Amino acid sequence: MEKFLNMTVLIFQGAGVTLEIFFITLILALPIGALAALGRLSKIKPLSLLMEFYVWIMRGTPLMLQLLFVYFALPVVGLRLPDIAAALLAFTLNYAAYFAEIFRAGLQAIPRGQFEASKVLGLSHWHTMKRIVFPQVLRIVLPPISNETINLVKDTSLIYILAMNDLLRVARTIVQREFDMTPFLIAAIFYLAMTAVLTWAFKKLEAHYGKYDA
Amino acid sequence: MANTMLELTGIHKSFGENQVLRGIDLIVDKGEVVAILGPSGSGKSTMLRCINHLETIDKGDIKIKNQTLAENGIYVDEKKQREVLSATGMVFQQFNLFPHMTVIENLIEAPIYVKKISRDEAIKTAESLLEKVGLSEVRDRYPARLSGGQQQRVAIARALAMMPDILLFDEPTSALDPELTGEVLKTMRELAAEHMTMIVVTHEMAFAREAASRVIFMAGGVIVEENNPKDFFNNPKEERTKLFLRNML
Repeated sequence: MEKFLNMTVLIFQGAGVTLEIFFITLILALPIGALAALGRLSKIKPLSLLMEFYVWIMRGTPLMLQLLFVYFALPVVGLRLPDIAAALLAFTLNYAAYFAEIFRAGLQAIPRGQFEASKVLGLSHWHTMKRIVFPQVLRIVLPPISNETINLVKDTSLIYILAMNDLLRVARTIVQREFDMTPFLIAAIFYLAMTAVLTWAFKKLEAHYGKYDA
Repeated sequence: MANTMLELTGIHKSFGENQVLRGIDLIVDKGEVVAILGPSGSGKSTMLRCINHLETIDKGDIKIKNQTLAENGIYVDEKKQREVLSATGMVFQQFNLFPHMTVIENLIEAPIYVKKISRDEAIKTAESLLEKVGLSEVRDRYPARLSGGQQQRVAIARALAMMPDILLFDEPTSALDPELTGEVLKTMRELAAEHMTMIVVTHEMAFAREAASRVIFMAGGVIVEENNPKDFFNNPKEERTKLFLRNML
């Protein structure tokens, strides 16, 4: 029993790194994704093309490769980031691209009539975006954002290859040392618990922002 | 001249190769209710949407309450446009209520943020407008919970909350089930009786006949004929008008 408790404590320390990557990535990638979506839909052609290129690169290559690139290739050109910053950079750029596509679809789903009604009432462009468009976009994007967020929980385990002591790596180290599979079980329970909490939270959010549906 | 609310001169508008408006001249005086009829594709909705710059004209002049919105196809600057256009309100075919806001929130949003009226005062005005259109009981409901007819009456109240001098209606009953058009037309008749200046693009012949002070018939991007409703319906002069009326009635 004591051994089990020790394992759990160690694994929870690893979970700290996992949670750190998860929350910081989410907090950075959501606004960056929203801005990238606006850029993608911008009338300024070069900006729109640049964003399309960015999304193509990020969605077209494996996240694992992006992590390795930031961690091993950037130092070659003189950009050496601390471990956690390197991981965060790769995760944020990758997830922001996915979020950008979700926001773009959400923005495009808003009927033109909403913009016209706002204009006719004299609402400014910024006010229209903030008070009329964005709340409706939020309602549309919550389910796909929820999906990506749950993916992110599990994708954090990829930092394992960067020799950072996240949840999965700690678990594996113990497994290899003790020849005991319990740590994997504890890790699985942790991922499942986190996913359960997120599923619940997004359900609440969807109910809150969807209360105007018929 | 002091009573002129709207003056369109030589309006031209194309979508690509397609010439939708080919020289529209129209003067609307205060208190007039102008019904605009015409087959689909005649340019009537486009003309209405040009008045409040939902469409941009290629050529011509637009004046609202003697203030220039566009001259020779060139618009005044954005700030000035806002000022000129604040005299207009619009009711759409698809209502275009804000679905994430309750009825009362739909009504007070623009008065608070555009007219800078206090929230309490905006709510008071909104409540009296809802009473006027007979919808006080749906004050706190979301649009999706209302019938089409109710939504359109809320949309009319929302437009009125900005106290426009001219109300533009773009086929306000076309998206409604036939049994729901009556309540919307009743509200519009009441507004007409209060001498609200209204320009109404519609297929409702009965409304044009009874509530309009003038009927305009458009076809092929021009005004073919205009007259008072009685003479328009009883003695149409142009062949195209006669053909249209035969098909409609």
